[in-house]
This record gives sequence, C-alpha cells and structure tokens, in this order.
Amino acid sequence: MSIVPKETVEVIAQSIGITNLLPEAALMLAPDVEYRVREIMQEAIKCMRHSKRTTLTASDVDGALNLRNVEPIYGFASGAPFRFRKAIGHRDLFYTDDREVDFKEVIEAPLPKAPLDTEIVCHWLAIEGVQPAIPENAPLEVIRAPAENRIHEQKDGPLIDIRLPVKHVLSRELQLYFQKIAELAMSKSNPALFKEALVSLASDSGLHPLVPYFTNFIADEVSRGLNDFQLLFNLMHTVRSLLQNPHIHIEPYLHQLMPSVVTCLVSKKLGNRFSDNHWELRDFTANLVALICKRYGAVYITLQSRLTKTLVNALLDSKKALTQHYGAIQGLAALGHNVVRLLLVSNLEPYLRLLEPELDAEKQKNQTKSYEAWRVYGALLRAAGLCIHDRLKIFPPLPSPSPSFLDKGKGKIINIEPQKRKLSVDSSKNQSPRKILITMDGPDGVQSQDHTGSAPMQVDNPVENENPPQNSVQPSSSEQTSDANESESRNGKVKESGRDRAITMRAILDQIWKDDLDSGRLLVKLHELYGDRILPFIPSTEMSVFL
Amino acid sequence: MDPEQINEFVVGYLKKKGFSGAAKDLEDYHHQNNGSSLSSIDYHNDPELTKLIRSFSQQEDDPTRYRESYSKLRSWAYNSLDLYKHELLRVMYPVFIHCYMDLVGKGHTQEARAFFNSFRKDHEMVHLRDLQKLEGVLSPSHLEEMEFARSLRKSKVNIKICQYSYDLLLQYLHRTESTLMLGIINEHINFQVYSGQPTSSSDDIEAVTIVGSFQDTANHINQKEIQWGLLEDSLEDRLEKTGGLLSDSEKGQGESKDGDADDSKKRSTEIGKQGSSIKKLKKDKAGNATAKVARLETSTVPPAPRVKPELALPVMSTDVEQSILEDLRNRVQLSSVAMPSVSFYTFINTHNGLNCASISHDGSLVAGGFSDSSIKVWDMAKIGQSGSGALQGENDTNDSIGGPNGRRNYTLLLGHSGPVYSATFSPPGDFVLSSSADTTIRLWSTKLNANLVCYKGHNYPVWDVQFSPFGHYFASCSHDRTARIWSMDQIQPLRIMAGHLSDVDCVQWHPNCNYIATGSSDKTVRLWDVQTGECVRIFIGHRSMVLSLAMSPDGRYMASGDEDGTIMMWDLSTARCITPLMGHNSCVWSLCYSGEGSLLASGSADCTVKLWDVTSSTKSTKAEEKNGNSNRLRSLRTFPTKSTPVHALRFSRRNLLFAAGALSKPAS
Repeated sequence: MSIVPKETVEVIAQSIGITNLLPEAALMLAPDVEYRVREIMQEAIKCMRHSKRTTLTASDVDGALNLRNVEPIYGFASGAPFRFRKAIGHRDLFYTDDREVDFKEVIEAPLPKAPLDTEIVCHWLAIEGVQPAIPENAPLEVIRAPAENRIHEQKDGPLIDIRLPVKHVLSRELQLYFQKIAELAMSKSNPALFKEALVSLASDSGLHPLVPYFTNFIADEVSRGLNDFQLLFNLMHTVRSLLQNPHIHIEPYLHQLMPSVVTCLVSKKLGNRFSDNHWELRDFTANLVALICKRYGAVYITLQSRLTKTLVNALLDSKKALTQHYGAIQGLAALGHNVVRLLLVSNLEPYLRLLEPELDAEKQKNQTKSYEAWRVYGALLRAAGLCIHDRLKIFPPLPSPSPSFLDKGKGKIINIEPQKRKLSVDSSKNQSPRKILITMDGPDGVQSQDHTGSAPMQVDNPVENENPPQNSVQPSSSEQTSDANESESRNGKVKESGRDRAITMRAILDQIWKDDLDSGRLLVKLHELYGDRILPFIPSTEMSVFL
Repeated sequence: MDPEQINEFVVGYLKKKGFSGAAKDLEDYHHQNNGSSLSSIDYHNDPELTKLIRSFSQQEDDPTRYRESYSKLRSWAYNSLDLYKHELLRVMYPVFIHCYMDLVGKGHTQEARAFFNSFRKDHEMVHLRDLQKLEGVLSPSHLEEMEFARSLRKSKVNIKICQYSYDLLLQYLHRTESTLMLGIINEHINFQVYSGQPTSSSDDIEAVTIVGSFQDTANHINQKEIQWGLLEDSLEDRLEKTGGLLSDSEKGQGESKDGDADDSKKRSTEIGKQGSSIKKLKKDKAGNATAKVARLETSTVPPAPRVKPELALPVMSTDVEQSILEDLRNRVQLSSVAMPSVSFYTFINTHNGLNCASISHDGSLVAGGFSDSSIKVWDMAKIGQSGSGALQGENDTNDSIGGPNGRRNYTLLLGHSGPVYSATFSPPGDFVLSSSADTTIRLWSTKLNANLVCYKGHNYPVWDVQFSPFGHYFASCSHDRTARIWSMDQIQPLRIMAGHLSDVDCVQWHPNCNYIATGSSDKTVRLWDVQTGECVRIFIGHRSMVLSLAMSPDGRYMASGDEDGTIMMWDLSTARCITPLMGHNSCVWSLCYSGEGSLLASGSADCTVKLWDVTSSTKSTKAEEKNGNSNRLRSLRTFPTKSTPVHALRFSRRNLLFAAGALSKPAS
C-alpha cells in the first residue's frame, strides 16, 4: 500500500529505542512516513531550484528540514556521492561505508590543497548575433552546406533574414594560437610543451577555422624540411592530433595533407644525420596513413586505391632506394592484411630476388646498404607473416593433432637446419641489428624445441634461445651505440613475445586444406620464399602438419 | 420486486449514511404498517427508483466499483468520435483524481494506490507534477492537511464543452447507470456548455490547470482595470524631445564617439578583440539606420495613456540623468535583423556553490550569491584595467579592491547566515540588495563595501528581491507565501501581498512602478497593485513552478518562464497568454527584454541563451484579433554555452546583452 514497507518502520522504531511497536501500528505509520518523506522532498526540490541547480544535494534536504523546523541530519554534507555497500547475506540491504578515522592519521596528514578561489572569466558569447568560434564557446555545428541553409531558412517563412556568408576572418586569439603551435612544431626545444600542444590540438573545439592554415603549414614545412628529422616527426604528430580532434572536419583538406604524409613515408631521405631514426618516423607515418584510410576511405573511395598505387609503384621501382621500399612496405602493411595479400605477396617473389644480392654479405660490402636491406627484409617478412597468421587464425581451434604428426614434421625441419644455421651465422657476421637476428632466431628456437619434442613449451623457448646469438653479436656491433642496440633489442623482444603469443594459437591443418586451399598455397609459397623464417607466424599445429 | 427487500435497502442505506434516527423512524413506520401496502412512498412501485436505491446500497463499500466504472468511462471516452474525443478526455482527469481521493478518503489505501498506478499514465503528460504531489496522499488526514488536495476537494473544475459532447457524456452515463461517475462529475465538474463545434485541442490551456477555488475569483479579479502605460515625463520622452533637436550628423558623431567609449570599456575587459569591436561599430550604424525606419513605423501606433506614479519616486540627480540619456541616445536598435552582442561572464571554481548571479545595469558590476552565505562582487572594469595596466605600463590608482590579502579581485560581503538566494543592483549600481535563507534582506553599499541595513520581516527564506526601476523601493518574496514592498529607509515592509497558494518564487516590477508581478510554485503569476496591495491579475497557464519574470519596456506585456522550460507571453490588460514559447528543455532561470522591447532573451539550465522575436508577436496579436490564429513568436537564435547554465541576463541601456553563469562540470 505504501512504498515504505512496515519492516522499515519497525527498524526505525528499534533504532530510536521503541521495541514493542505493534505491527498494526507500523502498518498505520508507513503511509504517513511516505507522505512526510515526499513533503520533505518537495521542499528540498524548491531549495534546489532556488540554488539554480538541477541535481538534488544533501544540503537541499537539510534546507528543507530547516524549513519544517526539523533538525537537519548531520554528516551528509560532503560533496562526494555516497558509496553504498551491500550487506552480506541480504539482497536489498545497503549501508554507507563509515570508515573509522584515526585522529593521528588526520593530524599527521598533510594539509589538502586549498580550493581555487572563485573567479569570473569574460568572453563573447555572440557578436551581432553570430557566435565566434573561440574555445570558450561550445563547438558549433561546423560549416553547414550553404544550400541546406537556404532551404532551412525558407521554411521559416518570409520574415527570416538571409545573411550572406561571413567573410572568413580569423580572430586574434586563433592567430596567436596558430603561431604558437607552429613555433612549437618548428623549435623542438621543448618536447613537454609540444606534447601539451598536441593534446590541445586533439581536443579543443573552435579550431576548425585554423585547419586550412595548418594543412598549408604542414605541406610547406614538409617540402622544405626533409632534412630535419625532428621537424618532420613533429609535423606528423600534428597531423595525427588534427585527425584525432572530434570537432574538426578534415576531409576537405585531405588532398592537401596526403602528399606530405606520403612523403614522410616513402621519401628517399628523411633527416640528415645518421642517428636519426627515420625507420621510426616511417612506421609512425604508416600508421597515420592507415588511420586516414580507415576513417575517410568510405568517403573518398579513390583514396586507398590511389595510395596503394603510389606505394606499390615505389616498391617495384628497383631504381628507388631501399628506404623508400621500406616505407612502401610499412605503408601497405598498415593498410591491412587484404592489401598485403593482394599487393605485397603477389610481388614478393620478384622483389626478394631483387633484394637477394643486397642481403648477401659477400656481395654487398657497404654496411649501411646491407643494414637497410635487412631492415626491408624484416619489414617484408613481418608483413607477410602477419598476413598469413591472420589467414590461419580464423580457423576454429580443434583438438591438437597426434604426436606422430609432430614427429613427421620434425624430420623435415632437421633437414633444413644446416642451411638455416648458415644464414644466421652470415647475418651475425654482417653485424646486422638485433631485429633481424631475432627474426632468424625465431626459427632456430622452433627447431630446437621441436628437437626436444615439447610442443606446449614453444612460448618460452625462443626467448631463451635468443640469448646465445645475442651475445655473439654484441661485441662485434661496436660501431653502433650501445643505447640504440639496447632499445632495438627491447623492441625485438616485444615483437618476439607478440609472435610467441601468435604461436600458441591453435587451429587445425585439415581445415586449411579443406576450407581454404588458398591460404595453404600462400603458406607454401611463403615458405619457399622465406624458408623457415615464416614459421613463427604460423600456429604451431598447422605448421607441423604443413611440414 | 420484493418491497421488504427494498425497505431493507433503504434502512441500510440510511444507517450507513448515519441517519440513524430516520432509519429508526422508517423501521417503526414499517412495523406499524406491517403487512399493509399503504405505503405513501412510491418507491416500491417505481422500478427505476428501486434499481437506483439498490445500487446505492451496494456500491458504497465496494472500492472495486471505482475502478470498474472509471475504466469503463475511460474506454468509452477513448473510443468516442475523434472530433469530440479531446473534450471528453478532458473530463477524465478530474474524474480520475476525485476517484482517487474518494478512495483515499474512505480509507481504501491499497485500492487507491492500485487505481492510481493503473491509470496515471493517461495523465502524466500534462499533469505530471500534480500527480507527483497527489501520489503521496495516503490517508484521509493527508487530504485534510495538504492544501492542494483540499482546494481540489472544495472547488469545482470548470470545463468548457460543446453541446454535443455534453449530450454524449450524459447519454453514456445514464445508459450505463454508472451513478458513481455521475455523482463525481456532478459534484466536482462545472460544465460550461457552448453551442457549435468543439474547439481544437491545442487551445485548451486553461483546461489543463486545475486551480482549485480561485478560477472564478481569478476571472473576477481579471476584470479589474489596470493602467499599464508608462509614467508621464519618462526619460524616453525626454530623449524624444532632445533627440529630435539633434541633427543627424551630430547624432552620427555622438555614436562614433560613444562607440569608442563603449569600445574602450570592452577593450579593458576583453583584450584582443579590437578587430571585432570595430566591425561592431560599423554594424551599429547600419543597425541604427534600419532601426530609425522601424521607429517611424512604430510611432504611428498610438502610445498607451501615460500614468502618474502612485509612489513618491526618488529624485534623480542630473548627472545620472545625463548619463542615462546619453546611453539611451546611443542605444543600438535591435530587431530580428539586428542582433545584439552577448558578453558572457563565466564563474569558475564555484564548487557548486553559486546560487544566484546579478549584473548591474551598465554591466560593469557582477554579484554572485553563494550557498556559504557570502556575496562576492566583481568590478569588471577594474579587472580589465589591472590587466591592461600592465600592458600600457601605467600602474595608476589600482587601489585596494583586493582587500587585505591583495590577491582577491572581488569584494567579499559577509553578513548573511544562510544561503544567499538572490541579489539585485540598484539602477545606478551603488547598492546591492541580497536575500537569504536566514529570512533577512540586506542592503550593501558598493562604494563602502559594507552592510548598511538588515531588513527583517519574512518568516521563511526569502527567495527573491528586486529593486524598483527607479531605485529606493524594492520588492521581496518568500517561502511564507507573501511578497512584500519595502523602501530603503524603513526596516518594516510597506505592503504585504498575500494570496498565493504556495511559495512566491520570483518578483518583478512593472516599468511604471505601480505594479509588481509575482510568480509562484502554485503555477500562477499574479499582478499586484503596489498602492493598494490588491491582486489585480492572475495569470493561469503554467504547468510548473514559475521561476523567472520579465516586463516589456512598454509595460504592456509580461514574460514568465517555468521549471519545464516553457516561456509564456502575457498581455497584462486581458490576462491572457499570447503564446507559449517552447524551446528550452530545462528550467528558465532568467528572462530579459531588450531596451526597446523587440527582443526577449532567456537563459536556461540547459546551457543556452535564446533570443526570441517578440515584435512579431505584438503585431500578430492585432492580426489575430482580425483573422484568427496567425502564428506567432519565434525563436531567433540559440547560443549554446560550454556547459554553463545561464543564471542571469541583463540588457544594458545600450542594448549589449550580458549573461552570467557558473561553469559546471558536465556529468561524466
């Protein structure tokens, strides 16, 4: 009858010391309790309204109790919402968590920060009825199509005034903002501040008027500053932030932006110093390109096709530098496995043939060149490997195959082994960086553990096994700074562990043969091309069957 | 039909109704005439009557009958002809609440609750707030205690209904012999039958408010005469006279000069806006040109008869008068084509403590009332100076506004002992009045930064206080359901306006100072004569608590905003709503007319400032009189703020709109 059950009344009675309350009395009291509570809430809502708020707070209820000449309930004045806890064993019983506070604790605790004092900030909400696009104002419905606008206005009747489009005037604040950001991007002296600026670029509203200026700025600086690695990196970060900002519609400017971005991906030379890690920049830009394609591919149908065409052309042009090839491969790889399968894998064979002489230590004496070549090889392997892994992992995991299968596989692997070893030795002689070594260590690890026959241990083994070759490399790689090496190896480890995770994925070979001959063929082809280096990408069971 | 049986019914009925004497007499009478059928009462022979009697005796104690007959009536009304349906459905709500209250009154709490819950959906859309109130009524004593319920029980609801709908209803009730419903309808509804076609459903604003007993009195009161004309010899008149003497070129110069002055003020508060303000200046001129034409048009409309002030008004010093005249001369003429600029004062770091904000008439002072009983006054011009002073390199008389610690850039006024609910500046900006939950009103001087007077008189929190347009007098309103008129030099109120049925939430002066308007939680707005203290108008139509009021500068119209976000425009002379302005979806905290009355600005808890064109409304009302409904008012612009509910609005005399609000963290 009342929303207050009689049990509640009984509990309240007990809490104030009345133990012998008759159930009938409780039943009679319940509706009155409800009425009083509603009455208090009605007054509390009035207090809330007059405090110009739309959420009821404990102080409003206190105010309402005051109005009714009732002692307010103390101890609920804190601003934080109450944390109700469920009483164990009861379904609907809750209580507020009342922590015991130690006086010592309170006294010894450092004084809390003084709250900021109230202040007034003044800005223009509108000028002549038009809201200026400044950060203080809520984001506007950005740039409506004029045609739409007109239709809308006509609907409103003849009374409406049709305003001509406002001439694009950039407010002083925005100009300052732009200048500041541009300075930060150029100066590279204060990375912390630049980071803040990027956050602001990625989140602030009202920046839309600046977008054309930014695209222009980026295009200019990229074409001018190809030798300045840090600048390029900063610019790419700026692009990324602009893409992230939800208040900015960047599509109309993409055509201006894309050439600079692609330049940073496949340019022959980025930065002028040896220590400039342009590989990182290319990786970053590749992700950026992928982001753009993902976001705006649907709007700009030709975007991805044009992009891939550019990249494939860069890749297949043997006259282009290896760094360019690397960028193209990373760009394609970032665009997704389908792109890799269609464009990269199909061109894999001729390209690897092209790359072969560069990889060979005897033929290629130039260390930088050889380093680049291995870098390209690594990227290619990673792209192909991830692609094939993606193909394979879609098959549902089935019970693992019989050990005899594994045994069969083992034999073959052993057969290939000598050749493998030779390769890895070659590369270590060449003082190739860690990353490439690792890509080769992987198969080694697989082999060795296959020897031991402990299939489930696959995850750990490669990591353990990579230690000896690492040691062998480090002394000889004296030319490189040890720092770089360290970071490289860390990089390698991360990638390695990712691959290991992939290895644990289980699927069944039967599925491959039956369901998708394609991927089988692909696998065979990749294996032919890469030898065993592709194996870490392949779920172990499939691999064993395949072998 | 067995006469004995009937006798039993009758006796039982009488007993139940408490007529024990009559029942006894009747029994005696029957005993005397035992066996003989010489009954002088003909109810034995009238089958209709016996049926009725029987139904009477049956139904009394049966709570389920309410439900049955109500649901029957309901389904009948819903299935009736479309043309008449909305009129018949209008009957349902009073029937519903009275059924519920009958059930409660008879102690069938359980059934009452069940009945209420099963049908409340039908009425929630229009009557949500009433239902929420009634829902809590669970025992007969609550019915007695609750004002709203009592007034519902006592009074009859007026429902306008066309002849045919009325006939349909009566036919239905008779045919189905639902005497219960018939009884309720007879008891609580007063039909105003008119001939002709039913009205369209949108025009039934009055039908949605059940206002208790004062519907009739309201109609009566609204007959009274009010004189809404402006005062004789107002400043505007003087402006017309002096303004006419000025040649156009002179005017233009004055404008540019003043534009500069305006500019410099703004520059002091807003650094780096020069470009825009110069642009503004140009546009001002253009706006003025168009507005002059508009003024010519409007001047052909005969102005309302001027009235004499009923209060002794304070004398204005010539300096002040000159500056006001100067402002008026340079006022930007606003219209639907010439929009105002809006300067927004955002309070930051309020920690949810800002209860009210107020802006002085020239926009230079901003006061905030806080829930920690403090009032803080900012002088925006000085803040701007201290900022620009550094730029210009002249650190002149930047004296101690900061107070002892020197860092604070506002004046802290302490004195209240409860949350401050309202603050208002006197027209020249030299005084501030504040009202608080501690039931007092305090007068502060902005020159001395000190409390001057404490006015005690209200018995409950004072929700609102407003200076009169000429200063000196002020009006306050309170939870004690009264509004009071005060003058600055007396600590006792001059008048007490009593009559609202619930809290008086807001108060506003009429431009001619002879009337005040009050908005209340009883969902009405009332207009009071200041001199006599009488209520002269009741405006019925809001569906929830009235939170803000504004009077048009010509004194003819009033706007009121409520908790739901509806703004209503009222014609003071007819007490009719011209049109509701829908658009806000949360409380309308603040309303303000532009200087010449062509625009209405509204600020709301939904974090927007809206501008409404109200000139077209005044035209269309005239058109309406001729050719029916040609609609109406329209929303011109919506300015969303960045999660800042708009607490206060003020058009400066030059028609720059100031708005203020506290930045509140968006709910994450």
